[in-house]
Amino acid sequence: MIIEMNNIRKHFDGLEVLKDISFGVDSGEVVSIIGPSGSGKSTLLRCATFLETIDGGEILYMGEKAAHTDAEGRAVYVHHQQLQHFRSYCGLVFQQFNLFPHYNVLKNLTDAPIHNQHRSKDEAEATAMELLAKMGIADKAKAYPYQLSGGQQQRVAIARALAMKPEILFFDEPTSALDPELTGEVLKVIRQLAEEKMTMVVVTHEMPFAKAVSNRVLFMAGGVIVEQGDPREVFENPKEERTKQFLRVFDR
Amino acid sequence: MTLSTMLSTMSAGMLRTTGIFALTLLGSLPLGMIVALLRKSRFAIVRGFIRVYISVIRGTPLMLQLLVWYFGPYYLFNLPIRGWRFPSLILGFVVNYAAYFAEIYRGGIESIPVGQYEAATVLGYSKGKTFMRIILPQVIKRIMPSVTNEVITLVKDTSLAFTLAYQEVFSLAKQISASQTSFMPFLIAGVFYFIANYVVAFIMEQIEKALNYYR
Ligand SMILES: Nc1ncnc2c1ncn2[C@@H]1O[C@H](COP(=O)(O)OP(=O)(O)OP(=O)(O)O)[C@@H](O)[C@H]1O
Ligand SMILES: [Mg+2]
Repeated sequence: MIIEMNNIRKHFDGLEVLKDISFGVDSGEVVSIIGPSGSGKSTLLRCATFLETIDGGEILYMGEKAAHTDAEGRAVYVHHQQLQHFRSYCGLVFQQFNLFPHYNVLKNLTDAPIHNQHRSKDEAEATAMELLAKMGIADKAKAYPYQLSGGQQQRVAIARALAMKPEILFFDEPTSALDPELTGEVLKVIRQLAEEKMTMVVVTHEMPFAKAVSNRVLFMAGGVIVEQGDPREVFENPKEERTKQFLRVFDR
Repeated sequence: MTLSTMLSTMSAGMLRTTGIFALTLLGSLPLGMIVALLRKSRFAIVRGFIRVYISVIRGTPLMLQLLVWYFGPYYLFNLPIRGWRFPSLILGFVVNYAAYFAEIYRGGIESIPVGQYEAATVLGYSKGKTFMRIILPQVIKRIMPSVTNEVITLVKDTSLAFTLAYQEVFSLAKQISASQTSFMPFLIAGVFYFIANYVVAFIMEQIEKALNYYR
């Protein structure tokens, strides 16, 4: 298992957002998470990538514990320095890209590897150029984010996350901020990564994409995983009433 | 008094005015950043202190503050006032301008989208690196217009040094005008301030242009 999250609980001022969620991802697996707005999908990703702290449960990366629950039932994280080490296992692609506007594309990809992972400039730049070529935007290396289309920006953001050589990459609705005609180019690179056996978790509303690319689909509602399994099973033969209801809305 | 002796007498004042201006910026630009960061300190006492400091500075005239810095140590602690004129003047200006710059920095820092912090965190930037490499460069670009305004105000504010009878260009203009019954010194001072501001505006515009490589 790359990541294992057990009995995760998370609340925001009284509101239970994650209610005892357990889930794990194996190496090379592509997991799609679907579910209605407010069901806790983003919160789950943010807990997995240490942007939010959990209230209870445990988080393991590569079998190592990053957080666990103590005798009083409170979540305890490893200390600061070790957390940075766990952070290097995971990458996150945001809905809003969040590129660094003052850095050009190449620097967006190399700055963190050089300054946070202490790689050499040459190595970081070679890796970056390789990734940009793979994303089909090698000619944009010297461009600034504001000069790119949304689809290009999101591909840069994916490349930036990959430049850190994470074990697993999380996507939070990577195409939701894009014009419909630009979603294809982003989905294409994610599909390509899936073929290369990159371990990924993708929160998405693109049902055909989830169905075609993922090994497993997870349906979340109200802070719990309602149903999960093989995408064809879940989409064509959902067992839970809540899932059927959700998918019906999408079929229209 | 001929025009040229007037000019040469006043040029010493122009040098002193430039000195106040440069030292104030040198002190208040960095101090303002420290104040802005302390404003968000973990400790409520520090935050409270900074809030009081900023509101006192903004709520009272700079002229009064200068007088307090100059005479305060003498009246309160009976300290000798000799040689204290210039240091108290610079202290008064620096402490005053740092408060205004702190507010500008704070606005700039708060205008950076939270997504920038989140992206940096996920990419392994520490808090310090996030601030220095990701946040601060963007803040500097955003606050340039407000900083320019403040710097231009400072050029004019240096004339408040006359309150402490410091012989900068405005004080000299007043003295010479009175003793020579001439309007000329005021004209010279006016032209000096105008040119100084012109130079400042030009330099700031160049900096803003240089930062225009991204949006
Ligand atoms: N920082 C926060 N403070 C308070 N409440 C929050 C915070 N973040 C999320 N929530 C609440 O937690 C719940 C789950 O939010 P979350 O963003 O995880 O949902 P989601 O499944 O990603 O929804 P969407 O499909 O709209 O992105 C929502 O009710 C939301 O309002
Ligand atoms: Mg969300």
